[in-house]
Amino acid sequence: MSKQQDNILTVDGLSISYGSFNAVQNVSFSVRRGEIFGLLGPNGAGKTSTLSAVEGLLKPQAGTILVDGNNAVSKPLHARASLGVQLQSTSFQPELFVIEVLQLYAGVYGVPASKADLMGILREINLEDSAMKKFGELSGGQQQRVSLVIATIHNPKLVLLDEPTTGLDPQSRRQLWERIEAIRERGHAVLLTTHSMEEAESVCDRIAIIDHGRVIAVDTPQGMIDKHRDDPEVIAVSRRGRITLEDVFIALTGKAIRS
Amino acid sequence: METSIPKISTVLKTLLRADFTTQWRNRRAVVLTLIVPVVILALWKVFVEKMGGPFVLSNSITIGLVATGLMGYSNSIARDRDKGIFQRLRVAPLPSWTIMGSRIIVQIVMILLITTFVFIIGKQYDGITLTPLAYVLTYFTALVGGVVYLSIGQMIVGRIQNPETVNSASRFIYFIFIMSGMLGEMYINEVGKTIHDIIVWSPYGTVKTILAAGMEPAKWNNNASMALLATLGYTVVCTTLGIKWFKWNTK
Repeated sequence: MSKQQDNILTVDGLSISYGSFNAVQNVSFSVRRGEIFGLLGPNGAGKTSTLSAVEGLLKPQAGTILVDGNNAVSKPLHARASLGVQLQSTSFQPELFVIEVLQLYAGVYGVPASKADLMGILREINLEDSAMKKFGELSGGQQQRVSLVIATIHNPKLVLLDEPTTGLDPQSRRQLWERIEAIRERGHAVLLTTHSMEEAESVCDRIAIIDHGRVIAVDTPQGMIDKHRDDPEVIAVSRRGRITLEDVFIALTGKAIRS
Repeated sequence: METSIPKISTVLKTLLRADFTTQWRNRRAVVLTLIVPVVILALWKVFVEKMGGPFVLSNSITIGLVATGLMGYSNSIARDRDKGIFQRLRVAPLPSWTIMGSRIIVQIVMILLITTFVFIIGKQYDGITLTPLAYVLTYFTALVGGVVYLSIGQMIVGRIQNPETVNSASRFIYFIFIMSGMLGEMYINEVGKTIHDIIVWSPYGTVKTILAAGMEPAKWNNNASMALLATLGYTVVCTTLGIKWFKWNTK
């Protein structure tokens, strides 16, 4: 298998602008089949814009995005068919019951699923009793489980998760990590954005740090720590006597709070 | 490498089922849009003899169409856009037009239901009956008229992002249409000819004209044909602008 075929996602020279503001500048990275790849960056760094371009929601000014070999701009439907997506703030029609939301997304992804199949899916995530509840009536953790199951309902080759653990309590977060790892074990690749360095260290095989619209580092979490362990900036921001991914992240992106 | 994408027919069927379910669960709002036409039918019983059944029916249907197209459609689109429901659908492998197409089909069914409802109440309460050809023509003109209000709704939701502002703007235009349309025509001497002409050639007036003419096919004249052309013109302009201005998300 060539390197190109080994990658489920290839982003090459991606640039996105909003008017005169360059949100993403010449970003390149790739996600390998079966890996969990984390895109890390401060607020406004360009993570969501990058993900939106991969999802086909934004048309980039320059660059190429290949999802399982399909160009996301020239063949968006084929690219999207290989993607499972959980958006940052997912919302479904508030009038529909959870089982109906599942039915809707099974249909739009072309998955033939009977009501019994869908109940089986809900049983797997311990939400069988919530089938006839509205999505808005579920707790934050339950909503995340439903969103994740919808993102993977069509058995996609790549799952995109935009800040999936935001607002979750530690138990729900831990459970979500386990579910993300289970997705990988089923052979899917995962691209996630997160602000949580703990999450990136625990879950991701490789990470890219993006800042001011540019990728400034790509490595495994441990590799990134090892590489920057002796940098004076990293040592200066270290607070616990040992170097963490967060120390490296702060040293690379700066201490200033972003809007 | 090719990946299979779902058939358009499967996607549309699925979207329609969800959108009709949503509409059904919002039936209280639908009933509210029917109240004004029913009130007109009830209060204007006295006008049936004076101005004819088509006058009363056409006003009732027009008001119902304005309520559905302007307020129902634009508010539901603004709400779903604000909640990110469209963005979630758009990351699925379906053409964007199917999302809006399904919504519009639901609204077209609502237009036909409103028209039927007004016919039934008009017959039962006011004793207004039409010839079979007139019923067919009225359904056609109601569709044409309903679509112009949907296109105005699209224009509002294209121009305005905030759902609350969309709600206020659509209510305001609804109010203007009701007041100017109904009262302007009845009190021509008070409002003056220029204002009267503006009202007659407004989207409210042209739709009312084609509906009334459809109810009396023998009386269909050049004026009705011009009103039909004007209605189609409004639809083309508002749809073009509505699509051009429309953004799928509010961010």
